[in-house]
Amino acid sequence: MATNKKEFPTPEEELAPWEQDLGQVGILRSALRARKWYGADWWFVAISMVMVAVFLIIAFFPAPFAPYGPNEIVGSSFLAPGETPPVPVLIIPQDSMVETLEDLAVPADSDRPSIAVEQGLPTSTALREQAQAIDDLLKDNPEGLRLRPRIERFNLLEDTLQAVVDGEVQAAVVQSTDFKVVSSQFPTLRQAESIMGDTATAGNFLLGTNDIGQDVFSRLIWGAQVALLIGFSSSIVALVLGVPLGLIAAFVGGALDRYLSLLMDSLYAFPGLILAIAITAILGPSVFNIIVAIAVVYIPTYYRIVRGQTFSVKEEIYVEAARSIGARRLEILRRYIFPNVIPSVAIIFSVNVADAILTGAGLSFLGLGLPPTIADWGIDLARGQRFIQTAWWLITFPGFAIMLVVLAFTLMGEGLMEIFNPKLRER
Amino acid sequence: MPRDILYSIKNLNVEYKTRAGAVRAVDNVSMDVFRGEILGLVGESGCGKSTLGKALMRLHTGPAKITGGELWFDGQDLMTLSDREMADIRGADIGMIFQDPMTSLNPVQRIVDHLVETIQTHEAGTSDKEAEARAEELVEHLGIRRERLSEYPHQMSGGMRQRVMISLALALNSKLVIADEPTTSLDVIVEYQFLDLLHKLRDEFGLTIILITHNIGVVAEIADRLAVMYAGKLVELGDCFGCFGSPKHPYTQGLLKAVPNIKLDGEELYKMTGEPPNLLRPPKGCRFHPRCPQVMDICRTQEPPFEHVEGTDQMTACWLYQEVAAGQEKNHA
Repeated sequence: MATNKKEFPTPEEELAPWEQDLGQVGILRSALRARKWYGADWWFVAISMVMVAVFLIIAFFPAPFAPYGPNEIVGSSFLAPGETPPVPVLIIPQDSMVETLEDLAVPADSDRPSIAVEQGLPTSTALREQAQAIDDLLKDNPEGLRLRPRIERFNLLEDTLQAVVDGEVQAAVVQSTDFKVVSSQFPTLRQAESIMGDTATAGNFLLGTNDIGQDVFSRLIWGAQVALLIGFSSSIVALVLGVPLGLIAAFVGGALDRYLSLLMDSLYAFPGLILAIAITAILGPSVFNIIVAIAVVYIPTYYRIVRGQTFSVKEEIYVEAARSIGARRLEILRRYIFPNVIPSVAIIFSVNVADAILTGAGLSFLGLGLPPTIADWGIDLARGQRFIQTAWWLITFPGFAIMLVVLAFTLMGEGLMEIFNPKLRER
Repeated sequence: MPRDILYSIKNLNVEYKTRAGAVRAVDNVSMDVFRGEILGLVGESGCGKSTLGKALMRLHTGPAKITGGELWFDGQDLMTLSDREMADIRGADIGMIFQDPMTSLNPVQRIVDHLVETIQTHEAGTSDKEAEARAEELVEHLGIRRERLSEYPHQMSGGMRQRVMISLALALNSKLVIADEPTTSLDVIVEYQFLDLLHKLRDEFGLTIILITHNIGVVAEIADRLAVMYAGKLVELGDCFGCFGSPKHPYTQGLLKAVPNIKLDGEELYKMTGEPPNLLRPPKGCRFHPRCPQVMDICRTQEPPFEHVEGTDQMTACWLYQEVAAGQEKNHA
């Protein structure tokens, strides 16, 4: 008998209580135990949740992730992703002691050093400005050092460098990329530091730079904040207004329902973006006004879904049964209708957040959104669109960011609904 | 012997407002329900039996409306109460069990919450703990383990849910339970257990039960009295023994003959001709006359009164048992 019992264990003996009934465990464990979620395998939803989590972390704490500030001009414009910007560098003989531009400074009464540059390139301007800046700093120098180089101009790169080899000049300033090409012809020369100091040599921007030399990656990171703010706030405002209106309209019915539905349907009849454009045009561009405009656009979505659902749930037998046990109207609305309506609202909410981010980006794209000093994906798209043929990275990455966040929210919303709705939970 | 009347229905009319006109689903129904009895209310689909059941709790909304009559429950006329007072009576004094146990519980609420809510709605001071303890005791009495109280409705079988529905009706010791086709969606074994339970509860709690069903076998099984409805009218009322032994109204006779019978022995089962009338335009006179095998002239023009049949305690609405009609028939012959 004992062996028999081992072979056919009852479920109670084998499984922990929470394993028998997912209804008794917390959200986390039931989420882990659920094998399949709505329309997708669990890992699909898990990935979207990770994506949303990353988005939220970046949106709340952008500083550690962004190498530069949102409006900082950090390098040359239109650098492709990963491209090192050409910098003017100091070229000197192999045996020279000179390492930086400052080393060329001499006492005021002695011979001024001469530096060769190639004519017609930004290097000569850079050299002049940089030398002037260093000279200004040296004004109060106790040793009386000054930096006022004579600038010798040559027509060709080779001639410029040959002048250093021949000893006509102490050093030359050429673009680092140019020197790389010809360095094998001049074995006696070497490249010293950039004349620009550290910032320019940092270079190597992960996602390139935009038309005014801002780091695209940093702007993406800072832009998450605005996207989150606009997406969430406007969806929450729309939800907070739309859901109760839909519930009450359907529950009370009659004239109230007719007039509210008329109002909502007229709002809904407008194309969303156009309505949002009209509202922001009236209110003026600011984050708050954009949130209001987008919220107004999405109220009818909530209203219609909730109203329709309420109408069908209202006729369910369990609502009648609730009345047969003497439940009050408010109680029926709160405990019977609302919880049965809310799963569909959760879905709309997640899709809505995504949609609101898109609409916000659309508004910025059209120039009705935020001032360009605020890092926003929509603004970046709008600015990048002019350079679509020369700098593909300007619109590609903000576009991807919007797409990924929208996708993540949509998938996660559907997954969450699955967990929170006991009717659909798979055991 | 005079029996204690719990619920007295007087000339009740319920109408559905439709575009084509008012449909009188319950037409001038009067009857008494005695304390502690099981009254079986039978009839075809659409004859108004469920409408009558709901009207007893004034549960109608929307197109249906009680347009006349009195509902005397335990000494007070429910028709004179405000909505709020009526809500106090629902659940506390009158409970209802619905046809489909699969959909009559809130899918997002645990079973225990249903019970606690019922108790707290009527006894506002009860703490959650107390209400839960009472709920546990109650469901164990009905044969559901107390651990299962924390489950959601979808985790229970149909029979269990129906027992939960009873426990909701019993939570506050309702005097009257209206069961609207409670066993229609259950299989025969569970149905048998359920009827058995109803019977036991009646004896134990002194419950009065109105059992609405289209299954005349169920009524024969447990009911004390039988009420038969046809096209919104009450056509026969009497104790089961009498009604099944010698049905008076031709409709009741037809119903009983149409029940499959083991003694049938190869004979064809009785088929009632015709179909139920459209209540928008009910037939003149007796509503059953187009299908009645014993139809007389008077049936086509005048409505029969609902009266006692002499020599029995059965009541019926049929000219066959009226002297006026008998005389007329003779003249005709």
